[in-house]
Amino acid sequence: MNTFVCIKRVPDTSEAEVKVDASGKDVDSSKFSFDINDADNYAVEEAILIKEKVGGTVKVVCMGPKDSDVMIRMALAKGGDSAIRIDDPRINVIDPLQVAKVLAATIKGQEFDLVLTGCMASDDGNMAVGVALAEELGIPHAAMVKKVELGEGKVKVHRELEGGLSEVVEMNLPAVLTIQTGINEPRYAPIKGIRMAQKKELKVLTLDDLGLSENDVNEAASLVELKNLYIPEVVSHAEIIEGEPEQKAEILAEKLVKGGLL
Amino acid sequence: MNTDLNTEMQSFIQKYDLLGCIQCGRCTGGCPVTVRTNLNVRRIVYDSRNEEVLEELAKLPEIWDCTACNTCAVRCPKGLKPVEVLIGLRNILVEEGSVEPTVRDALESIFREGNPWNKSRATRCDWMEGLDVRIVEPGEKVENLIFVCCTIAYDPKVQGIAKNLVKILNKAGVDYGFIGESESCCASEAHNMGEEGLFEMAIEDNTELLNSYEAKRLVAISPHCYAAFKNQYPDLKAEVIHYTHLLKELLEEKKITITKECAEKVIFHDPCFLGKQNNVFDEPRYILKQVGGAELVEFDRKRERSLCCEGGGGKMWVEGSATKAERLAETRVKDAREREATVLAVACPFCVLTLDDALKARGFEEEMRVAEILEFIGPLVE
Amino acid sequence: MGNVFVIAEHRQGLLRDISLEMLTVASQVTQQNGGDVVAVLLGSGVDSLADKLAGYSDKVLYVDDPLFADFNAEKYQRVLVELIKQNNPELVMIGHTTQGVDIAPALAVEMKIPFVTDVIQIEFADGKLQPVRQYYQGKVNANFAFKGESPYLITLREATLEVPEPSKKGAIEKIDSPLKEDIEYRRFIEYVEAEVGDVDITQSEILVAVGRGIREEKNMPMIEELAKAINADICGSRAATDAGWLDHDRQVGTSGKTVKPKLYIAIGISGAFQHLAGMKGSKTIVAINKDPDAPIFSVADFAIIDDLFKVVPKLTEKLKELKG
Repeated sequence: MNTFVCIKRVPDTSEAEVKVDASGKDVDSSKFSFDINDADNYAVEEAILIKEKVGGTVKVVCMGPKDSDVMIRMALAKGGDSAIRIDDPRINVIDPLQVAKVLAATIKGQEFDLVLTGCMASDDGNMAVGVALAEELGIPHAAMVKKVELGEGKVKVHRELEGGLSEVVEMNLPAVLTIQTGINEPRYAPIKGIRMAQKKELKVLTLDDLGLSENDVNEAASLVELKNLYIPEVVSHAEIIEGEPEQKAEILAEKLVKGGLL
Repeated sequence: MNTDLNTEMQSFIQKYDLLGCIQCGRCTGGCPVTVRTNLNVRRIVYDSRNEEVLEELAKLPEIWDCTACNTCAVRCPKGLKPVEVLIGLRNILVEEGSVEPTVRDALESIFREGNPWNKSRATRCDWMEGLDVRIVEPGEKVENLIFVCCTIAYDPKVQGIAKNLVKILNKAGVDYGFIGESESCCASEAHNMGEEGLFEMAIEDNTELLNSYEAKRLVAISPHCYAAFKNQYPDLKAEVIHYTHLLKELLEEKKITITKECAEKVIFHDPCFLGKQNNVFDEPRYILKQVGGAELVEFDRKRERSLCCEGGGGKMWVEGSATKAERLAETRVKDAREREATVLAVACPFCVLTLDDALKARGFEEEMRVAEILEFIGPLVE
Repeated sequence: MGNVFVIAEHRQGLLRDISLEMLTVASQVTQQNGGDVVAVLLGSGVDSLADKLAGYSDKVLYVDDPLFADFNAEKYQRVLVELIKQNNPELVMIGHTTQGVDIAPALAVEMKIPFVTDVIQIEFADGKLQPVRQYYQGKVNANFAFKGESPYLITLREATLEVPEPSKKGAIEKIDSPLKEDIEYRRFIEYVEAEVGDVDITQSEILVAVGRGIREEKNMPMIEELAKAINADICGSRAATDAGWLDHDRQVGTSGKTVKPKLYIAIGISGAFQHLAGMKGSKTIVAINKDPDAPIFSVADFAIIDDLFKVVPKLTEKLKELKG
């Protein structure tokens, strides 16, 4: 089983203050910490579990700056065989369909049975790259996968739906699966392993290496345009509910029920 | 034995000198967590002589109950370090990648961001906001290079420790400097959690960083950083001291004076990494005795016999299997309460966290407070 | 403007809430700018769903075919491509749901149409549709513009608005399935219900978390009653598990579990840094604590600063009443 696993370096903004930068189209990320995207980490683990079970290779693909190498090396230390990082400022990373196009160009023509991605990137929340990638590659896909069972030339997966329900589907290989968090428990990459993984191949490619034209995947080529970013009025500042204790309780109950939270 | 030998070339037995063990059991007898868990250090040292069962031993849940307090090593008549055997077993799991997710996240965070708290390196100095802090650059000459500690830098509950130190240093007019955002975890706790590779990397990187300053002394605020720099970083150029050394000096030289009186009954809890591991017992007491109006009382279990608070040895990130009996920190606050102390003084950020939790769990908030020495005397210094 | 296509979502014979939410947004859009709201229903023998959709649409396109007895993203895609080509709507809406994200991106790629995901609202600027979406888990909003020719495709976020009473009476038009044969490369097998067993709080959708603020174990029944009323699982801070009020596997924090439920109700938890690390990823956080400076409020979405013993019983009572 030869697997490609696509990973992304993302900022952890859960506690960070997010400010829009001078361009109005990006945020000031100078105070952020970065890590592998959570769901991608599970995808890496799943790829390695598959390799450990049935053999084969795991190739890591990552689109991003040099700082992503840390996350790539960690994935290699866990059991990845080689990696490709696509680093080209001309790629419009805002558009998930263009990202998928670049990933497809990276994977196309190589031998593979499975492509795993995380089901969602925590920074943009598009949940689109994996499924778009499958379409670009012309192969079946399943999104939000919580369980993988390999068969002869096929794969059976459980897609996690709302409310604890799972949908079981079977697909012919090769296929793209977008992996949901919690499918496994990602292992730790010990530093000795990371150091040894320095010897594994990590190719850095540009659009030219992929045979893609800038005009396929740059901002001008996108069918959508990010006009501007702004901070919504209420962000992570608690709405303080006022009144007598019992009134507060009633107001909260109404907010929870009518706000669709319950 | 040639210490340059690649450790992997050594057998587990050789590495920890397991054949030197006479099975006297003083390690287990002194181990403070035995009241709470099935951990039997003597037994594990004995069983570890059979290298075929190491993997199995490593899977015992009680391996993670050890707090690395070092009592076993202090008491061993043969000079062995049973605690390191437990850490060696944890290392087996680390190298396999099969550690608790919380341990994994802490270790990865040290690797990526230089702290175990999953915080951005870029926010390491946010606690300094509004303070007049001198930050020094590599190459600069400085008498006292201050090393803050990740927990103090990031946890709002203990940031006051560093803030008060800054105020005191500024008042004393001493030559000092902080490292700033490039300060990275000492990785003492990474070592205790069995991540030898990460610890070795931290030693290399930190030694290079810290030696890049023309610093006479390296002043660690946390006993954990202090113990690591003093005992496990062989190539540091600066003399390693704990902040209580510096504070005692400043008081003796009258560079600072504790002017405000404080009618409290203060009891001092010796942190393991400061006291029994490094014999720093008198400096904290000297400082506390300078507080006018305060009375210093002692625990029955004091100095090298001090009872561990269970904050070290990776316990901030792993619960372990200890369920028998109350937490040692609770025993500690109860003892303090019996002495009618109103301030439980400590000199370690981990002790603050564990003891303060215990104090609240026991409902002693009204009668007593946990205070790090710097937070206690900071407001009293003129 | 042209028509708005809403791809209805249903499962096991029931219409999903997102369907009517999308139709409501579509009605708002067409009211301002003209065009019809067209619900697209792919199913087998789901006439009652078509009727319900009609109450919110100008027209229902209903493909009633055994091929659509169960959801299959690849089949949906094949049919939707044909229907969109034939009808040329201006805007196509799909839910940003587990079903929608399985279809929409591939559909956008195949049709080469402008696509914006997880839209929270649709505005107009210079007479053009301007979808708004978010980045960084809601910390930043982004205005988007579509370039080029319609149709445009969006996935719409769930639960952003209330659905009013039905006010339309759209015609239901049954059409033949453009897809004539089943596809081979992706097969629906079955639905599997979640296993019932010991509670794994990392999988819980709703959590009620307790801290030392509840003071004693004898106050736990008050919490259990609240949890029962809203189908929540109970977890707690280290203090609560230490005190033995809860098992250790219910501890949230750096030394316990990391949880990301849809709703996290923190009761009497001050929010130690180590606790926050384990729950800050929760979608919505409610904090009830009497200390206005409790750090838990820094991550809360709703805050009640008051005596929990007065608030919680009333909250339970009111929730029971509202949930009927």
